[in-house]
Amino acid sequence: MATLKEKRTCGQRCEDFGHFVWNSDNGTLMGRTPEKWVYISLYYAAFYVVMTALFCLAIWVLMYTLDPYAPDYQDRLPSPGVMVWPDKYGEEHIEITYNSSDRASWSKMSTCLHKFLEPYNDTLQKDCDHNCIKGKYFIQDHFTADTHTKKSCSFPVSLLGPCSGLQDPTFGYNCTMPCVIIKMNRIINFLPSLNTSQEIQVNCTVLEGEENVKEIKYYPDNGIMDRSYFPYYGNLAQSKYLNPLVAVRVDLVGKRWAKFQCRVVADKISYENIHDPYEGKVVFTLKNLHLEPSRMHNQGSAI
Amino acid sequence: MNRKRDNYNMFEMDGDGKAKKTKKEKKKERLEGMKKEMDIDDHEITIEELEMRYDTSIKKGLTSSFASQVLERDGPNELRPPKGTPEYVKFARQLAGGLQCLMWVAACICFIAFGIELARGNLASFDNLYLAITLIAVVVVTGCFGYYQEFKSTNIIASFKNLVPQQALVIRDGQKNQINAIDLVVGDLVEIKGGDRVPADIRIIFAQGCKVDNSSLTGESEPQSKNPECTHENPLETRNIAFFSTTCLEGVANGIVINTGDRTIIGRIASLASGVGNEKTPIAIEIEHFVDIIAGLAIFFGFTFFVVAMFIGYEFLEAMIFFMAIVVAYVPEGLLATVTVCLSLTAKRLARKNCVVKNLEAVETLGSTSVICSDKTGTLTQNRMTVAHLWFDNHVHAADTTEDQSGQSFDQSSETWRALARIAGLCNRAVFRPDQDGIPVPRRLVVGDASETALLKFTELTIGNIMDYRNRFNKVVEVPFNSTNKFQLSVHELDDPMDLRYLLVMKGAPERILERCSTILIKGQELPMDEQWKESFQTAYMDLGGLGERVLGFCYMYLNEKEFPRGYRFDSDEINFTTSGLCFAGLVSMIDPPRATVPDAVMKCRTAGIRVVMVTGDHPITARAIAANVGIISEGSETVEDIAIRKRIPVEQVNKSDARACVINGGQLKDMSSEDLDEALRNHPEMVFARTSPQQKLLIVESCQRLGSIVAVTGDGVNDSPALKKADIGIAMGIAGSDAAKNAADMILLDDNFASIVTGVEQGRLIFDNLKKSIAYTLTKNIPELTPYLIYITVSVPLPLGCITILFIELATDIYPSVSLAYEKAESDIMNLKPRNPRRDRLVNEALAAYSYFQIGAIQSFAGFTDYFSAMAQEGWYPLMCVGLRSHWENVHLQDMQDSYGQEWTFGQRLYQQYTCYTVFFVSIEICQISDVLIRKTRRLSVFQQGFFRNKVLVSAIVFQLLLGNLLCYCPGMPNIFNFMPIRVQWWFIPVPYGILIFVYDEIRKLGVRRHPGSWWDQELYY
Repeated sequence: MATLKEKRTCGQRCEDFGHFVWNSDNGTLMGRTPEKWVYISLYYAAFYVVMTALFCLAIWVLMYTLDPYAPDYQDRLPSPGVMVWPDKYGEEHIEITYNSSDRASWSKMSTCLHKFLEPYNDTLQKDCDHNCIKGKYFIQDHFTADTHTKKSCSFPVSLLGPCSGLQDPTFGYNCTMPCVIIKMNRIINFLPSLNTSQEIQVNCTVLEGEENVKEIKYYPDNGIMDRSYFPYYGNLAQSKYLNPLVAVRVDLVGKRWAKFQCRVVADKISYENIHDPYEGKVVFTLKNLHLEPSRMHNQGSAI
Repeated sequence: MNRKRDNYNMFEMDGDGKAKKTKKEKKKERLEGMKKEMDIDDHEITIEELEMRYDTSIKKGLTSSFASQVLERDGPNELRPPKGTPEYVKFARQLAGGLQCLMWVAACICFIAFGIELARGNLASFDNLYLAITLIAVVVVTGCFGYYQEFKSTNIIASFKNLVPQQALVIRDGQKNQINAIDLVVGDLVEIKGGDRVPADIRIIFAQGCKVDNSSLTGESEPQSKNPECTHENPLETRNIAFFSTTCLEGVANGIVINTGDRTIIGRIASLASGVGNEKTPIAIEIEHFVDIIAGLAIFFGFTFFVVAMFIGYEFLEAMIFFMAIVVAYVPEGLLATVTVCLSLTAKRLARKNCVVKNLEAVETLGSTSVICSDKTGTLTQNRMTVAHLWFDNHVHAADTTEDQSGQSFDQSSETWRALARIAGLCNRAVFRPDQDGIPVPRRLVVGDASETALLKFTELTIGNIMDYRNRFNKVVEVPFNSTNKFQLSVHELDDPMDLRYLLVMKGAPERILERCSTILIKGQELPMDEQWKESFQTAYMDLGGLGERVLGFCYMYLNEKEFPRGYRFDSDEINFTTSGLCFAGLVSMIDPPRATVPDAVMKCRTAGIRVVMVTGDHPITARAIAANVGIISEGSETVEDIAIRKRIPVEQVNKSDARACVINGGQLKDMSSEDLDEALRNHPEMVFARTSPQQKLLIVESCQRLGSIVAVTGDGVNDSPALKKADIGIAMGIAGSDAAKNAADMILLDDNFASIVTGVEQGRLIFDNLKKSIAYTLTKNIPELTPYLIYITVSVPLPLGCITILFIELATDIYPSVSLAYEKAESDIMNLKPRNPRRDRLVNEALAAYSYFQIGAIQSFAGFTDYFSAMAQEGWYPLMCVGLRSHWENVHLQDMQDSYGQEWTFGQRLYQQYTCYTVFFVSIEICQISDVLIRKTRRLSVFQQGFFRNKVLVSAIVFQLLLGNLLCYCPGMPNIFNFMPIRVQWWFIPVPYGILIFVYDEIRKLGVRRHPGSWWDQELYY
C-alpha cells in the first residue's frame, strides 16, 4: 500500500504519463500495442456501423409508417395559437411601438405588414378555389384537385379593406388609426366550432388604457373568419392554403397608448391556458410615441 | 511530547507547501523517536536513590502538602483522552471525499455558467442554477448521512466506557488513606492487593505473593509475579515494576509511584497511537482513481466539443457554456448516494453479525485485506487458563477446552482418573463467587489464581458440584504454594465415616512432585516408581511443556491411621507429617486455549488467500503452540530451528526458504533492520512474532504495508492500539478490548469473535464486486444523458433531454436499482479467491468505463434517439426537419412555426413538445436501464445461471423504477413542475428492442469471457 500512497512529484507524474503514452518495454502505446489498437478500433468501428445501421433501419421503418398527409398525433395542438402582426416584441410582450411622425419608425411597421401580406397577393392565389361556399366548412374527403391534392379557398387581400395596404400602404401608421392583422395558426383537420349558429370571429378588448381607444374596427366585417377556410388538410394536400386573416383598426386618442387582447371566439378554441399566452388569443400593446401636435409639426418639417 | 501539534497534523491534506513539509518531517522524527524503546531506570536504582529522586519515604510516604504541589505540577493521574476530532471537522471530512470534490467543482462550474448566462441576459435558463443547487444538496445530504452513520457507531463504542472512578490506597504523612486514583502523584507510597487495578506505574518495594495480569499491556496470558528485585534491564520485563491499568490478581504489594497519567507506559503507548496517522482506505483510493478517470474523460469530451462548437461557428462564450455543461454532465450525480448507501447497507449487515464499523469506507477494506496481524491473547485465545491435557495411566488425554463444552471429552472410567480428579478438586483454594448458579461454569467468576481457577472449573465440569464434594472431605490442614517448595498440599478427612485415615493430597511443579513419590497409580493399581515410569513421565512432561502449556503434577497418600489418628494436630509451618513416598496420580496441563471458532476462521482466511500473522507479547513457546493449534502455523511446517534439529546441522546452514514457519521474538526483532524484517516476511509465509513491544507491532505492520499488503490488525490491549491505528483496518475486541484499542480501531467485534473477521472479509469482497456493478450501472446512463446535448449542439435539433429530467434519472428512478445491486449474491465462491491486487484490480478500470460508456451507453443513446425521433415525427416534425431547427424552435417570439405538415405551433406548444421529447428520452433510458440492471447482476456468469429473480430487492427495484416512471409521466401537473408529459403508451415500447439487444449483447460478451479466458475478448471486455 505504501507505494500506492506515495506522493509523487510532478516530474514523476509526467514520467509516468510518458510511460503510459509510449512504453518501450512491452511496446505499448497508451496501454495497448499498436496491433491491439487496430483490433479494438476495428471492433468499435464494426460495433458502431451495426448500431448505426440498426438505427437507420428503425428510422426508415418509422418514416415508412407515417402518413404524409396528416401527423399521427396532435397531442400538443389541442387548440390553435393566435398571433398579431406587426410582430414586434418589447422586453417580453408584444409592443407595437411607433412614432407616427417618424417615417423610419412607422415604415418598419408597414414593411412588416407588407411582407406578411405578400402570400396573399391576388396573383399568387390564382390556383385557389374562388368559389367557396361561405359560411360552411369546406370538407373534402377525397383528393379532388389536380395531382392528388385538395382545394383551398382564396383569401383576397381586399377583404381587409383599409388595412389591406392597397389604398393605404402605411396601414395607418402615419396617422392615429393603425392596423394590426390577427392570424390564427392552422391545424390539420381542426374545426374551430361545431356550433353552426355562432360565427368564428375575432374579438378585441382593451385591457389597459381604455380611455385612449376611440374605436375598434374589424375587417372583414365583425372580424369573421369564414368557415370555408376550415379544415386545413396539410401542406401536401393544400400547398396553396392561406390562413384567413382579420385586420383590426384602432383609433388611438389621448395618450395614444393601449393594451389589447384579441381573441378568436369559437367553442373549440380555448384561450385560458395560463402556460401558453398565445393559445386562442394574443395580447399586445399599441403605442404611438407621437403625442403633441406642436412637436409633430416640428418633426414633420424635419422630414 | 508534542501531542497537541500532532493532532492537527493528522488532518492535514497532502500538500507541497514548505511549511507543512517541515512540520511533517518534524513529526516523522518524533515518531521515529517514539518507536524506539522507552527508557526508564527507576527499576534499576536502589530504594534509597529512589527515595532521593522523588523526595519520599518508603515508610511514611509523601507529605500531603508536597503531594498537592506535585499534583499541581504534573497534573492528575489519568490518561488524557486522545483529543477527539471536533465534530465539525468530522462533518467536513464527510464533504471532502473524492466524489464530493468532483461534485463541488461541478457545482462551481454550474454557478459560473449560470453567471455567464445571466450576464448575457438569458433569463430563461435556470437549469444551471438548479443543477448547482442539486449537486450541493446531494453532497450535503449524503454527508449528513455518512456523518450520522459514524455518529451512531461511535455511540455504540462509547457506551462501553467504564465510568466508575478508581480508588487507591495511599500512605501519606505515615497514614493510610483511600483516595481517588487520579489524585496520585509521583513519589506516593501506595498499597495494592488482589483484585485491584494498579493505579499508576509503581516500583515495588515490598510484595507478598503478588501476581499481576499484564495481558492488556503485553499480551502475556500468564500472571506475572512481582517482587522488589530488579530482574531485567527492560522495564517491561522486570519484576519490580507494576504498570498502570494492569490488574493485581492476588497477594499484596506496596511501592512508590514513579510515573502518573500520560507519562506511564500505558499513557505513552496510547499517545503513540494518536501519533500514528490514519491510512487512507483502499476504497477511498479506488474512488479517487475513478474520479481521475471521470474528470479526464469529462475534460476530454468538453474540450473536443468546445473545439467543434467553435468550428461550427458558435460564439466563444456560448462554446464555453457548452464546455461547462458537458463537463458537468459527466458528473454521475447519483453515484455518491449509491456508494454511500451500498456501504452503509453492508455496515448494517456487518453490525448484525457483531462487527461495528466506525468509518463506512472501512467496510470494504477487510475485503481487500491480504494480511491479518492478530494479537494472541483475548483475540485468538479465550484469555482464560483452561485444563488442556491430562497424563495418567501412561497416556496423554485431551480435555475439552471449548468455551461452551461442546468438544470431545476423554475416557473417565479409569480409577486413576478418579484419584486425580479428587486431588485436583481437594487440593485447591479457589472458590466460585456466590450466586452464580445460572451462569455456565466456564463463565463463572472465581476467587483464586489462574491455574487453580482452571482446575476448579475443570473439576466442577467433570465431577460436578465441587464445593459440596469438598465439604464431604473435611480439610484438616493446608500448606499453600510458595516459590521455594513449589507445591501445595492439604490433608482431608475421608467422607466415609468408617474410614478413619487421613488423605494427603499434593500438587505442584511436576519434578518436585516426582521427587516425593515412590509409587505411581496405573489403572487404579499402585506400582513402584521405577526408571521406566520416570522416563515416560519425563516424556509426557516435555511433550506437554512443548505445547506451551503449564504442567502441574498431582500425588496423594493415605496417612497411616496409627501414626496419625483422628484429632492429630497437623502443623502447616512445621510440617509434622509425611510428605514423601507418595503415590503419583498424574499430570494436568493448562493453557489459555484458542477460541473454538478460531482454527476454522484461520483456515477460511487461508483459503481466501489471506495470511494470518500472529503478533503477541507472550512467550515464543506459548505463541508457537497456539499458532500451531489454530493453524497459523500449519501442520508439517517447520521453522529454521526445527530443520536444523531434524537435519542435525547448525542453524546458519539451513536454507531459509525451506522453512515455511518462523517465530521471531522481540529481542531478535530489535536487532533486525527493516530490510531484514521485510525479507523474513517475504521468505516465511507463516510468521509468529512473540515478546513484541507496541512499537515493534507498529514496525511489523509497516513492513507488511511496504510489501504491498493491505493489513488488518486485531487486538484488544492498549499495547495493540498504535498498530491498530497504523493498520489499513484496525479491529478491536468489543468485550475484552481496552478503550484505547477501541478508539484506535476502525472496526469493533462486539462478540470478540475472530470468526466475525471472516464474515467481514466476505462482505467486504462482496461489496467491492457489487460496487463495481453499481458503478457500471450508474455510469452507463451518463452517455444517453450526454449525447442529446452533444447532438443538440452539433446538429441543432430541439433539445432531446432536459436537465431536470436528467436529475430525476440520476437521483430518483435509478438510485434504488443501483443500490439493489448491493444485494446481489456473489458470482463465485469469493472466499476461495486471492485478495485483490490493489495495483491491478481496480474498482473502475478502463474496460468497465469503455464498455459502459461506449457500448452499452451508446446503445442506450440510440434507443433514446429512436424514441425521440419517433415522438417528434408522429407529432409532425420529421427527423430531417429537426436538423438545424434549434434557433427557430427556441425563438420565444415565433408563434407560428410550421412543422413538416404545415401546421403552425406557438412557442408554448413547441415547449410542451420538447417536454414530450424529454419524457420519451427519459422512458428510453429507463427501459434500457432495466435491461442494464439485469445484465449488471453478473460480470462473468450468465444471468440465467445467477437466477433472474433471486435478488428480490432488485426485482422490487425494477418495479419501483417503472412505477415511479409512470407516476412522473402521468401524474397531473407534472408538465409544468418537472417537465414530464403524459406520453403515448407506444413510446414506452420503442426502446424495448434496444433493451433486448443490450441483454443479448451482454450475454454474448459473458459467454465469450467464460469460454475463452485470457483471450483478447476477455481482456478487452471483462471488467
